[in-house]
Amino acid sequence: MDDIATDILRRTIRKIPVKKLQDTLKSWEHISTSQLETLDFSQPKWVFLENLRSLCEENDLNVKHVTELEMIYHIRNPNQGTWHACQLLEAEDEALSVELTQFREQFKAHLMEVMRHVSVKIKKHEDQAIWIRIAWGDNFNKPNQLKPTYVVHYLQTPYVFVSKLSSKHKPYLYQALVLSTRHSSIKDAHLSGSSLIALRDLLMRQYQQVFPTNQSRPLQERNALPSHPNIGKEHAELAEKRLQMACEAFGDGTVPKLETAVYRLETKYKGNGNDTLIDRDEPFKGVVQFTSTNLLESLRHCVASGMADAPVTPLLSSITQKGRNYFVITEKGPGAASQMTGRKI
Amino acid sequence: MEGRGSAVKTPASRIVKRRSKSYGRSCVEPPSQFWYTPGQLTIVRIPTSREAAKSRNITEKVDPEKVALLVKNEWKLSHVTPLYRFRHTQLKQYSRHLSAFIMAEKQQGVAVEVGPETTFKVTFSTVLGLAETEEDAETVFIQIHSKPMFAAAGDVPKVVWSGWLTCVNGDPEYLRSLPPDFVSLPLFCTNGPEALTTLVKSWLERTFDCNCRSLILNSTILNWLAVLWTGCHPTTDIRYLKLDWTLPTDPSLDISYRLSPQDVWELWNSIHQEDSADDTVSLEEVNRFMTGLESHFFRHFRIYLSAGTLMKVSTSLGSAHHNGKIKIACSNYIPTVLTLLTECAILRMPI
Repeated sequence: MDDIATDILRRTIRKIPVKKLQDTLKSWEHISTSQLETLDFSQPKWVFLENLRSLCEENDLNVKHVTELEMIYHIRNPNQGTWHACQLLEAEDEALSVELTQFREQFKAHLMEVMRHVSVKIKKHEDQAIWIRIAWGDNFNKPNQLKPTYVVHYLQTPYVFVSKLSSKHKPYLYQALVLSTRHSSIKDAHLSGSSLIALRDLLMRQYQQVFPTNQSRPLQERNALPSHPNIGKEHAELAEKRLQMACEAFGDGTVPKLETAVYRLETKYKGNGNDTLIDRDEPFKGVVQFTSTNLLESLRHCVASGMADAPVTPLLSSITQKGRNYFVITEKGPGAASQMTGRKI
Repeated sequence: MEGRGSAVKTPASRIVKRRSKSYGRSCVEPPSQFWYTPGQLTIVRIPTSREAAKSRNITEKVDPEKVALLVKNEWKLSHVTPLYRFRHTQLKQYSRHLSAFIMAEKQQGVAVEVGPETTFKVTFSTVLGLAETEEDAETVFIQIHSKPMFAAAGDVPKVVWSGWLTCVNGDPEYLRSLPPDFVSLPLFCTNGPEALTTLVKSWLERTFDCNCRSLILNSTILNWLAVLWTGCHPTTDIRYLKLDWTLPTDPSLDISYRLSPQDVWELWNSIHQEDSADDTVSLEEVNRFMTGLESHFFRHFRIYLSAGTLMKVSTSLGSAHHNGKIKIACSNYIPTVLTLLTECAILRMPI
């Protein structure tokens, strides 16, 4: 156990709640059951850590093993830091037959080819997700184990989620991903958030969707007695319609938990009766950011309650339709409706 | 101040009807002397126009060191009713009294979040030159320094709390109507631990028979600030105008709209008529400007911003939050901002 290994062990153990320590260590599989029994989990963390460290020394564990524990922690707590979604493009014929062993070998090989010092760890999670931990170094320095990049890829899908990646390492990672998954390119999906699961659900449409229908849903019973049955009915119908449209745009039930959506507006001024600006050719620039603890739920409520007009504008429904939360809105041409273009990478 | 609505003088004999809202003394409190002032009460109206912001190098008038103190911090605003028997000549005495008051409260076990073994030293000083008119009382600056009980020789007392009472371009009719023993410094800005703010406020209330309440900046005030700052753009680069709204959805939705300074200034310039000799801005223009921005937003997102609350306005010249926190980043516009806030504080006064 060198200093770095101890450091990673300390940082990881600190983050794990006491209740989950035993379970996490068990799944790590580098400390035997009998050794685990000697540990007292009710001790203060720093005392516990000393005891654990001596067990690690006893078992001759090194950085490689400790980083595995760190990975287990991250896999069990995926909603941390900021995840950015990327999308692989133009799958080759073999793309669908890529399996774990092959991917593991190729990914490592492609990365090692361009970087002398890099340490890669790949682990498969239960739900088909492949977790990759990359510690980057350069030609002269050993990999920095304390600032690893985490990558999650679902095999046979075009989606990759990346966390803590510096722009310096981006090209290397992208190239290795493209080659080992048998695609021809990769692009930024303009979707980010702290919940990995939410990003995945949004992109893979794994949430309760509502589709446009001509049949109205049965009216729910309401407690308040309306002043006049017809007025009440009309109100209820309108409210129901708004809710239907809100759900069509943002999903029903529990929706993926996004925190923000950003729109860079580069459209012409469209405000109320101001001829000077409306006649102007240059765009009226601004950046709009929506923030909430659960953005899609807030927007759904916003439309359903009438704080926003229904039907939902394509700008907002694009969050779910296109699976993005970063947009640049420009004018298509003179007089044309706004159009969405992505940020150039 | 021609633009202000005419103040109505109330005859002495008639019972004074108060404006719809007053956040100060309540009617049920025992009547103080202030309540019985004969026949000089004015009704302050919300102005419908005001002077456009003018850049002025106030360090020519005010000690630059003092200006630096005002510009550095974020201030929490309160409004204070007129101070009874406050004298600018007795600041030394007030310093001693407030120090003693804080120490006494601390011994009684009032939580003050600075280590147990500390002593406090309070200094009162005036910020000369910030007052704009004859009627404005000079600004009073209060600092609380803390010092460890057993300080080493090199230990410099640390400023743990600061605050200032000010009045800039206060409504002259209102100020003139005050009885002679009262000094009006309606705007109280504080920065530091909440516990100390509470202590200072309660000392002020006891010593000068006044009442301190937090000042909320409503959307009208924030709109004014947005416009006044935007109007500064040709003189001083505002870099951005950022407006923050909160919509009462479940969970609540925050919307921030950051605008390019040049575009937003052009919008303002197309609305604002600059023909009059004294460059005034009317409330109607302010409303048209804000509606212009909100409708541009609506055309894109179809969300009614009016359903929510404008929470914050910021530019590189400063920021103001609905909860009464302000920051003035550029000293050249201190008089403009303080005039607006003084007026906002005076409007809260019980009449």
